[in-house]
Amino acid sequence: MTAPPTAPWPVPRERTTSTAAKLIVPSLIGALVALGLGIYGRVHSPTGIAINIAGFSSPGTVKSWLATGATLFAIVQVGSALVMYGKIPRVTAPEWIGGLHKWSGRIAFLLAVPVAVHCLYALGFQQYSTRVLLHSVFGCLFFGAFTVKMLILPKRGLPGWVLPVAGAVVFTILVVIWFTSAYWFFSTFGIKR
Amino acid sequence: MKRNTPLITLLTGAALGVVLLISTMLATPSSAPLNYSAAAASSAAPASSSAPAESSAPAESSAPAESPAPTRTTPTRADFAGRVGGGGGSVAVAVHGDKAVAYVCNGSTVEGWMRGTVQGDKLVLTGKNKTHLTASIHTGTVTGDVEAHGTDYSFSVPTVSKSSSKSSGLYQATAVVQGKTIKAGWIVLGDGTQIGSLETDGSGENAVTAPKLDVATMTARIGNVVLHAVPVSGVTGSGF
Repeated sequence: MTAPPTAPWPVPRERTTSTAAKLIVPSLIGALVALGLGIYGRVHSPTGIAINIAGFSSPGTVKSWLATGATLFAIVQVGSALVMYGKIPRVTAPEWIGGLHKWSGRIAFLLAVPVAVHCLYALGFQQYSTRVLLHSVFGCLFFGAFTVKMLILPKRGLPGWVLPVAGAVVFTILVVIWFTSAYWFFSTFGIKR
Repeated sequence: MKRNTPLITLLTGAALGVVLLISTMLATPSSAPLNYSAAAASSAAPASSSAPAESSAPAESSAPAESPAPTRTTPTRADFAGRVGGGGGSVAVAVHGDKAVAYVCNGSTVEGWMRGTVQGDKLVLTGKNKTHLTASIHTGTVTGDVEAHGTDYSFSVPTVSKSSSKSSGLYQATAVVQGKTIKAGWIVLGDGTQIGSLETDGSGENAVTAPKLDVATMTARIGNVVLHAVPVSGVTGSGF
């Protein structure tokens, strides 16, 4: 909102580059993010310690609720995206749907960050059970996939399928993370604060 | 402009992550993660024997935050506690150097105290009445199997978090009542739930549900006998 309103949208050169060329740099950056998180989680000696948030009984419950919040906002993401793409019959996209999509995504992402920090700092990348291994792998992949989604979002001239596929991948990974953590936590220890 | 907002989102998230990581590091008591500070100390001494490990550290510095290369992955002093698989009871493991103490109980007749040694990241602990536990220590978790009174449990339990609940951990109390030595054990979890059993004689063969442990006073009452509980903790060395 700070740039002059007359700023032209795409740089002409961008139009001529192929889809693959536009996707390769964001994908590489995303891969590096996922890999970096995984390496950090593996080599950093987990402390088992984290600051707790007042009002919750343990870091586990904090993380479970934050992750559940992120997942709920992610469901809003899918719903608003479907409306934006006109995939819901007899529903025309209201003006505010773009804002809803952007802000639910931002909130979901920001809710997920503290969870990831706790996971990586206190627990690390672990593989002692299938659930834990899946959670570790997908947890790292999520931030890589989200980075890719954010980096390709402003690119113009991409085929129509790219953003929906990227969004679906991010959402699917988040759901896997939620099932292997918060769902497991609540079903093991009960739903509590 | 609008084109940059996804990037701003990303950078905001990254900045939030870094701020949280730093504040968590600052909030981490320097004494608690002994393995971590030990690693930091060894990397400060250039002539230490962990030189090969250090030389590989710069190659891995693509990680988002700087951290000393771990020279040992299993903590030398740690407490673990949690519910066993299936939730039918709790288990607590306290590791203090190369010694370990564990207690498993279902809040009723199935319970047992075990002692043993730590070899690498493996635990082999035994107790009375063929009670035994084998487990491996991972950072932040201990995973294994325990058998008491013919009942098998598998478990994977996390580090006791004193930051979430000061009273969580393993406690024991002994007393002599009518000529018999009774021994109670309680496992208090981070959510405040406690589970405890009481051995009604020195053999440990017979156990009943323990009276509730008042964590504020660290006492429990059986009739007019007051039991004084003491923590069993690998971190502090209490009970070893």
